Amino acid sequence: MKTTTNEKKEYRGSIHQLQKDLMLAWYDQLDQAATTGIPPTVSMMISGNCVELLEGFGAVPLYPEINALQLAIRHQSLDPILAAEDLGYAADNCAYVKADIGCILKGITPTGGKLPTPTLILCNFVGCNTYLKWFEHLAKLQQAPLYVIDVPFMRAEEPSRSDIEYVVKQLQETVKKLEQLTGRKFDYDRFRQAVACSSRTEELWSQIKHLARRSPSPFDAYFDAITLMGPLYVYRARPEGVEFFEAALAELQAKADARKGVYEQEQFRLVMEGPPPYPYFRTFRDMFAKWQACAVASTYSTVGGLWEFGFRHDPKNPFESVAMHMIAQNVTNRNFLQRYEQIRRYVEEWNADGVIIHFVKSCRLFSAGQGDMRDYFTKQLGVPTLYIESDLEDPRYFAEAQTKNRIDAFFEALEHSKGTAAVRS
Amino acid sequence: MLFERTFDNCSALHFPSIQEWKQAHPGRKVIAYFPVYAPVELIHAAGMLPVGLSGAGDRLDIQHADARFGSFICSIVKTTLEMGMAGHLEPFDGFLFSTICDSARNLCFVMKRNFPQMYVDFLHLPHNPSSPAAAQFLAEEYRRILTELERLGAEVDDEALRHSIALYNRNRALIRKLYQLRSHSPQQVPTSELYQLIRLGNFLPVEEHTAQLEAALLDFQSRNAKLRDSIRIVVEGSFCEQPPLTLIRLVEDAGCYIVDDDFVIGQSWFESDVPTEGDPLLALAKSYLDRSVYSSVRHDFRKPRWDGLVDKVRRNRADAVLFLIAKFCEPAYFDYVPYKQELERTGIPHLQLEFEEKSFTFDRLRTEIETFVESLVFD
Amino acid sequence: MRIAAGVDVGSTQTKAVIMSDNGGVQIAARALVDTGANVQRAAERAFDACCQEAGVHGGDVGFVVGTGYGRYKIAFGNAQMTEITCHAKGAAFLCPGTRTVIDMGGQDSKAISVGPNGEVVDFVMNDKCAAGTGRFLANSAEVMGISLDEVGPLSLRAQHPVKIATVCTVFVESDILSYLAQGKTGEDILGGVHIAIAKRTLSLARRLNIEPEITMTGGVARNVGMVRALEELLGRKMLVSPDAQFIGAVGAALFALEKLDQSFESGIWRGEHAVPGGH
Repeated sequence: MKTTTNEKKEYRGSIHQLQKDLMLAWYDQLDQAATTGIPPTVSMMISGNCVELLEGFGAVPLYPEINALQLAIRHQSLDPILAAEDLGYAADNCAYVKADIGCILKGITPTGGKLPTPTLILCNFVGCNTYLKWFEHLAKLQQAPLYVIDVPFMRAEEPSRSDIEYVVKQLQETVKKLEQLTGRKFDYDRFRQAVACSSRTEELWSQIKHLARRSPSPFDAYFDAITLMGPLYVYRARPEGVEFFEAALAELQAKADARKGVYEQEQFRLVMEGPPPYPYFRTFRDMFAKWQACAVASTYSTVGGLWEFGFRHDPKNPFESVAMHMIAQNVTNRNFLQRYEQIRRYVEEWNADGVIIHFVKSCRLFSAGQGDMRDYFTKQLGVPTLYIESDLEDPRYFAEAQTKNRIDAFFEALEHSKGTAAVRS
Repeated sequence: MLFERTFDNCSALHFPSIQEWKQAHPGRKVIAYFPVYAPVELIHAAGMLPVGLSGAGDRLDIQHADARFGSFICSIVKTTLEMGMAGHLEPFDGFLFSTICDSARNLCFVMKRNFPQMYVDFLHLPHNPSSPAAAQFLAEEYRRILTELERLGAEVDDEALRHSIALYNRNRALIRKLYQLRSHSPQQVPTSELYQLIRLGNFLPVEEHTAQLEAALLDFQSRNAKLRDSIRIVVEGSFCEQPPLTLIRLVEDAGCYIVDDDFVIGQSWFESDVPTEGDPLLALAKSYLDRSVYSSVRHDFRKPRWDGLVDKVRRNRADAVLFLIAKFCEPAYFDYVPYKQELERTGIPHLQLEFEEKSFTFDRLRTEIETFVESLVFD
Repeated sequence: MRIAAGVDVGSTQTKAVIMSDNGGVQIAARALVDTGANVQRAAERAFDACCQEAGVHGGDVGFVVGTGYGRYKIAFGNAQMTEITCHAKGAAFLCPGTRTVIDMGGQDSKAISVGPNGEVVDFVMNDKCAAGTGRFLANSAEVMGISLDEVGPLSLRAQHPVKIATVCTVFVESDILSYLAQGKTGEDILGGVHIAIAKRTLSLARRLNIEPEITMTGGVARNVGMVRALEELLGRKMLVSPDAQFIGAVGAALFALEKLDQSFESGIWRGEHAVPGGH
């Protein structure tokens, strides 16, 4: 009987360690803030976050979503979820919210260090109504002040003048609020420098994303991109962020130039839609690794910002460009049809063989209507598409055998069609 | 005259009242709106008929829509799409959605893709009413929608808008009056009747609906019913997908007077009249921000919703709250927690139940409600 | 002459098929056993029974492809393929012209769009719950105190099929009891149950382009009531092979034959996905 060649792969380069160090340093800062109250901290949502603004106060971001996903990856999400359900949250409420609130109830943190009560809970509402509820509930629970930046949804192809002005005004109100709460004056120059930093980080990130157009791609634009995302949201507007992404780009560029892919032989190129099942991150990745299938693009890695199509923050118009990023340049505030378009572009320009749609029970923003997305790609465009289901945070909703079965069947079919295509040519 | 229309008749899938209106007004268009709230005044001012569509209830089997929207999604999203896919939305020239929840938002764009011949639009209602910039933004958003509506209907000037606002003010004022009457004398205003009357407003031209409300008010006022030994309850959570009428009757039969509710809340969104002087779009915008009722799909942290619920209970001298939540309704599920916490803190009894618009067996629900009523009556 | 075998380990039953290309590809033998608790033993029993019927020894079989949920537990298997791929292949062979497969098994149901060479073009699965599967029917039969074999024929005699609201196997039991208490006939109740399941299955299938010929496979294909209910909703007749239950095993055997024939090179044959003993 032949033995399997599918040993546990090591997916990481040296940037992985760098990324870990940066994230731990961030958690250290938060621990310090929890003890001393300095620096001020601001809770935000990852999607369309305005971390640049915080730099004007020397404030550090707190991201409940990162806490939630860290817990899930460490297989610690179930307990807090259950605690939240005991409080009355429904089985069908977003498990991110439940995990985060459960943590606060139980005093758990992902690293064991302390997390501060934020100086301000800043809800950047970018298309996810759950965000609004989450932060309102946090404000009630943590007795912290709340401000909602209401970002108009992308209901037309481009944001209107009125949309941008509305967000700019709210950003300015946020500044006033933070001045009151921190006792610090907003440093406009630091803010502008932060915006300039972001635009450099974004340029590097975009180049990294574009490396995946190579064949083979030097990294997995879903699993590896998710790992790289942390510094993008915490350090985007700081020199450490620029340094990190310079190092990341250099490493991946070298791999690309040496024609080194993620696998020995890149067999399939995929576009991934939807968040990953964090409690089964590794297992899920292995299901694709088995087929030497590499993601060349993903929508989830653009929640914080969509930079591969050219958008950059502009330090000459800092408030306006921050507003633009929040309105139009992140996947969550873009409408469902714009997401189809985004994926279609990836399939064409990144030369993918198929699309994987991962429906997650918790997230209706991503998942409600993905059946129509599937219909668009299979029936209208003829792109091979696989639909699988689980959850992003709750470990109870993952059927390993069934998921593996669907993935295997998909690649069996794809392999067959590639094989016959090869034979024909 | 459509005076004899009933809700049951109007909500049939071939929309007879709408067909008749179209025949009586050739060339004029009909714009549907998804719950909860829609700027009906704009649609009306443009010479079109606004129609509130709250799914297909139990009238339609979901055969195609669940291929597009899978599990864990509320029924109303699916039956709305199913209506479209089965051809029932043919009488409608447009469909307006707004920022109520993530599922409904995605539905808007799925509808846009699948029904390109319809005008489908998404109204962004502000979720930061504390910002001084919100009113201007919303007025401009209304201007944007109005421009689109004018393309389908007639050109609209301020006078026309003020006129429409006045008509809807009158309609809403009557609904408030009816609700007040019911709260004061619930034995005279059975909710199962009031409910159908209010929902008729989803289908009828506002002028006709107002006439019917006026007649109904007189009728209710003149009734001579004995006050039963029922508990007074507030129903919360049914603001979008609607419970079957049978369930509403069941609640009353089980020993409850529903003295306030959030059924079809969009019909009576404003607590008082929208001003008819000055810029009408700004007046509508400010009214949304400052004089609309609280709800799970509106976010205004100046006064948290849970305080609004407690106020509602006290204002109506209610004994308890019944949360009637549509299965998979995410906003309602979320808000249940702070609502529950406040009710427990203030000592107000409550019960939470789930329903689906398409249910037609209610044994378990009946048992739960009866048990709850008994627990309050035999204290 | 080449001999190959396919073994389909399902949740309730295990099927084996031996095929040869002695003057044209054909089925030499078939066998079916209950899976029971020991998947490995079930696979061995089915294979042995099949060899016996074909009049060959196990060693004569050149290649064995395992499929079904227990495919990784077939120790004597040379390779595995999903039952989706095998059902498409098998259906195209047994029912020429197949473009859509509707498979209703004991535990899951699926629909497959099939290409001209029996390849999978697209597929959808319900592997989350028992709605639309044999389990739903088995439960209904049990609640009504009748045998599973009777449900199909009985349902055909429905005069006024009842309305079944839920497709949840757990809740339908109380609906059925409720109708029995109301004095509804068994025929009408079963008629309603079959219609509900058919609707649910087609709802799933419609995510694909349903194109003729439509072939029904899986254990539930032997249920005449289900076949009729589906055909009425589809508005056309389906193809149902007398070997409906063996379609997965037939497909697996066909792939095995192709391997012997060297007519298809694939990563599967490079042994990268073959796992010894278990998975």
